[in-house]
Amino acid sequence: MVTRRTFVQTGLLGASSVALLPQLSLAEAPEKKPPTRFIFLHKGNGLLPGSLVPPTFDKQQLELENRKQPLEIDLNGHDLPQWMSPLSDHQKNLTILQGLSGKMCTTGHHTWCSSLGVFKANERLSSIKWATVDFELAKMLPSPFGHIELACFPGGGGNSRGNINGIEKGFSARGPQQPNYAFGSPKVAVQELFKSVSTNQKSKANYQLEQQMLRFVAENQANLARQLKGFEKPKVGNYADALANIRSRDARVESMADVIRRNMPKLDEKYLADNLSTVDRQTGHTEILLSALISGMTNVVTFTLDELGTRYTGLPEIEGENVNQHDVGHGKAVARFSALEVREKIRQQHMHVIDQIVKRLKGIPEGTGTMFDNTMLFYFPDNGETHHSHGTEWPFVVLAGDNTPLNLGRRYIRLPGYAKEGHKTLGNWYTTILNAYGNPTEHYGALDVGLAIDQKGPIQKFLG
Amino acid sequence: MVLREHCLECHQGDSAEGGVRLNNLNAATLPKQLDLLNRAQDQLFFGLMPPEDAAPLDQREQRILADWMRSELRLRHASKLDEKLRQPAYGNYIEHAALFAGSFKDKAFTPARRWLVSPQIFHERVNDVFGLEGRDRQKNFYGVTNPFVLPDQSGVRDYDINLLDGGHLLVMLNNAKWISEKQVFAAVSKGIQRQKLIFPNPKDRWYPPNAPAEWIAIVSKSDAPAEGELVAAIQKQFDNVLRRQASDQELDRYLQLFRSAIELGGNKKGLQTVLSSVLLESEFLYRTELGEEPADASGRRLLSPQEAAFAVAYALGDRGPDPLLLKVAQSGRLKTNEDFRREINRLLNDNQWFKGPVDPSLSGKNMQSHVSTHPKLVRFFREFFGYPNSTKIFKDLKRSDGFYQNPSRGTAGTPGFLVKEADRIVDWILLGDKNVVEKLLTTDQYFVYHDKDNESGKKVIAQWKEAYEHFKDTDWKNQPEKVIADNEDYIKDRKSLRILGGKQKREFLRYMYYWEESFGKGQTPFTTPSFAHGYTYNHSTFYNLPPTPHIFRYNTVVQQNFKGLDDEEFWNYPVKQPFPVPNRKGLLTHPAWLIAHSGNFHTDPIRRGRWIREKLLAGRVPDVPITVDAQVPDDPHKTFRERVEMVTMNEQCWKCHQQMNPLGLPFEGFDDFGRYRLDEPLEAPENLVAKTKKKNGFDSYRTKTVSTLGELKGTTQEELDGPVNDAFELIDRLAKSTKVRQSIIRHAFRFFMGRNEMLSDSVTLVDADRAYLESGGSFRSVVVSLLSSDSFRYRK
Repeated sequence: MVTRRTFVQTGLLGASSVALLPQLSLAEAPEKKPPTRFIFLHKGNGLLPGSLVPPTFDKQQLELENRKQPLEIDLNGHDLPQWMSPLSDHQKNLTILQGLSGKMCTTGHHTWCSSLGVFKANERLSSIKWATVDFELAKMLPSPFGHIELACFPGGGGNSRGNINGIEKGFSARGPQQPNYAFGSPKVAVQELFKSVSTNQKSKANYQLEQQMLRFVAENQANLARQLKGFEKPKVGNYADALANIRSRDARVESMADVIRRNMPKLDEKYLADNLSTVDRQTGHTEILLSALISGMTNVVTFTLDELGTRYTGLPEIEGENVNQHDVGHGKAVARFSALEVREKIRQQHMHVIDQIVKRLKGIPEGTGTMFDNTMLFYFPDNGETHHSHGTEWPFVVLAGDNTPLNLGRRYIRLPGYAKEGHKTLGNWYTTILNAYGNPTEHYGALDVGLAIDQKGPIQKFLG
Repeated sequence: MVLREHCLECHQGDSAEGGVRLNNLNAATLPKQLDLLNRAQDQLFFGLMPPEDAAPLDQREQRILADWMRSELRLRHASKLDEKLRQPAYGNYIEHAALFAGSFKDKAFTPARRWLVSPQIFHERVNDVFGLEGRDRQKNFYGVTNPFVLPDQSGVRDYDINLLDGGHLLVMLNNAKWISEKQVFAAVSKGIQRQKLIFPNPKDRWYPPNAPAEWIAIVSKSDAPAEGELVAAIQKQFDNVLRRQASDQELDRYLQLFRSAIELGGNKKGLQTVLSSVLLESEFLYRTELGEEPADASGRRLLSPQEAAFAVAYALGDRGPDPLLLKVAQSGRLKTNEDFRREINRLLNDNQWFKGPVDPSLSGKNMQSHVSTHPKLVRFFREFFGYPNSTKIFKDLKRSDGFYQNPSRGTAGTPGFLVKEADRIVDWILLGDKNVVEKLLTTDQYFVYHDKDNESGKKVIAQWKEAYEHFKDTDWKNQPEKVIADNEDYIKDRKSLRILGGKQKREFLRYMYYWEESFGKGQTPFTTPSFAHGYTYNHSTFYNLPPTPHIFRYNTVVQQNFKGLDDEEFWNYPVKQPFPVPNRKGLLTHPAWLIAHSGNFHTDPIRRGRWIREKLLAGRVPDVPITVDAQVPDDPHKTFRERVEMVTMNEQCWKCHQQMNPLGLPFEGFDDFGRYRLDEPLEAPENLVAKTKKKNGFDSYRTKTVSTLGELKGTTQEELDGPVNDAFELIDRLAKSTKVRQSIIRHAFRFFMGRNEMLSDSVTLVDADRAYLESGGSFRSVVVSLLSSDSFRYRK
């Protein structure tokens, strides 16, 4: 039985989810408690489950791992796989979570909003069923921007189809059939996100023009709404209110000018160029991600580290190579490195990005601790376990600050295998996160029609 | 008085029932009074009060109480019931008998309104903003996201109750930026060769082919434009976007913005700011229907000429009015009932203006949506029946015995094909336009595959057969190369067979084996061979027809060790379509409808029954009580019906389920893939008989005979109500029911008017029903009647 109380709570939460802009609740947002922050980092070409196994596992542990048997091992005393070495300073915050499945998602090469939305997405907007999990979290964590998405877009296939520097449809979704837009290059992201404090004359003028237009349209619509009554009034009034809310958001960002200016990303020219290597693009985006979080412009950032169609340049020892990830997925070597070694290089670069983020946030005091205490970071594949994935596994690397309500802590966890009793899906995992942070949804995501076990609800043991 | 006599006994003092006290109404604050009155009004209207164990109200008392509550609430614009009754789910709360009694002669009207544009209309409006015509009209725009989504439910989905909100605005801000940038780009680039242009985004090289002179004048100047030039540029965008001229007051405001924006950013940026601002007017996203003064004696106003032209055009399609309709309206000849009839008939006979795909979202790499001369008429029935929702139900491949393909990247999968085939039936019946309702419910004529029209299909088969006859007695199996060489000229003359080039041996053998398995057995093969590139036809089994050869069936015929093909039964393909399919009767037994009204793993007799109760019998089923979380219990020895009945037949549940189960359970003769069946496999491990050997095949389980018994109640025709043996008997009776016909007309009213019917629409509905009967069941006559009615033409 669903109680009336839980039903009403869930219902209200669901009802407000699409229509409200994040900034609507800003006025009521309590300022005292530091905000919780979420960072979603996803990659293409699969994340091979075997690559995450610590080399120091003993024979018995390895046997269980190889048979996909449930496992829970304290990472203390274990070495991380070599490619994860940049995370060695953060081992106490680290959880490696294996055994989730995601067969209700689009799998294979490209997956669009699937891994964040837990449904079968494709390039058609009609395939977007609901807001992706990062947006669900952003709704609970009001901030001027609500959510920011950055991407190293693919050059071929997948999203954006080649316009890697623009503002294009991303991998997150605001609601049903509502794609989010991601910033493709650090240059464009800086221009758009920090335009209110820009010192560049042209950018300043563009910002002022935009504000002028918004003021004009908002006043027009408010005047029109005032003349209406009955059922007609909210038809324009709602829109006028939404315009007013955008203006309030901008005003709020303007009022934060000092803090934003202080935290402006400090990027050398090479990171703001139109032509930059993939690795530089990642570094540039990471600085923007940090600036946006530290300044309080947003509490949720999603960053597409790469997608299958992202051509890699700038990888250590193969800086000059233009690595085609699809070929790597099919086992093709690059220069003197085997496909597996190239995969490792790519993952290690991702670990440097994570280290850059965690280290910086750990260095910023907040409350009685640091900013990282209130942060959760997820690193995961956008398509599951391998290049031509089936979604039977969806590995996650989680870094959580001390204040997380989730019971994860410094463990290697392998959940029961696909279709086995106690098996858990991507939907269960996201439900756990949402429940832990205050969204009481019964289950987030589509169900796996091939799975006969009860697959709804959170993973109770992580809820502590 | 009525309140005192019937309500206060229970609702006063500290022990008031449900904590609702009506004795101290005056003492409460206004918001509390309104809340209480709203709750009381709901209880009375939905028949929940007085309770069964209390003295009932007679009709007069009921009316007195209801009128008093509603007038008090309306006076303060606070009647929540009024708001509720505008929702699609409450359409049937107006008594059916009262609507069609013919005794209500009130003057019909639609409230003056703004009606949010549909996703389709929005797209067409963007084409219009760019002034695109003919082949220049775009299917997609790189930088435009459609801000609108219609809900998924069966039934009419596009109502005038929706509001613009923050989500729409966010999308529109991006849309307006992209559109205005393209408009300015076109103006700046006028006269420059395309090759010499520099595109800000190299992947987005489209721009409108024409730029208005008014904007070219602005962007080509280096100094500030004159006022007349600014006015002309503003008016041009008003004309493009809002299809009207700006008023003097609007011009004043826009001129101020224009000048200030030019000062800040120069002529180009100034123009772009103004163009964007017009695009962000809420009017762009609404259909405005306010009516034009003077009002008649009943306070009703006729649609203005412009509003009338757009209302007619949007009722019949997604594009604005054609030039003739606009001209007719502007010359004052779109006012009377006769004017509307004339124009609507003209547009219904125009086979080009509205022609287009019924549902472009179905089109993918291997299948294109069905094209109709009037897609919107087809769209009414597809929304009414709700069969397109089959694309939203994901199925397990193994349970379909390997035949079902879920929608995936670039394809709408099996349900996409099924929906297209259902669209074809609807369009075919609409083209015949005789006894449309009855035929939709009872036809045994179906389209399955049918990727070539009857004439083309006939030609292909004739050519194939002739070729097969030519080769069949040669030694083609053992000496294909020699046979090909001996018949080189013959093959060259038949290029359509594609037995050409370096792979001609493979192609030749594939065709010959394909033909041997069909013509050789006295059958006709499907007109597209399974080895054709991108072959995706794999769904005939969902109609209980034999399969067509699998895509890989003929792959091995060229291999050295090929030992021949396994003997399999394939479908004797009917080239001429539609054709009769056994054990089917109308759209309610079409696999698309059955899948749409099923779950992932099993049928959904409750949903099927509810659909019939609400859509065909104009009935009402209350929403599931919020405290009910009913689950169908597992029991490996029972059919799904038996398990459903275990939880729905207790007294408390049956109150509502009796409205649904007896209507939905006869459809247990079809499984959740829409396949006709007599027995149901009991899919539990303990019932496993044999594991399948087929890849993705369905294991064998013990079965149990399905019961398809049911009962029809609520037609108000004695000869029709009563027990039924199966879905076919139920459908036959439904098709004869007056109420069913009228219920469909009520839904058509909602579709074309964008709202629920009111009692004052009674004359409109009675007229539409009469039009249907007098025309021998023509749906077009219903459309003409509805769209020329007072309900359509007047606003108040």
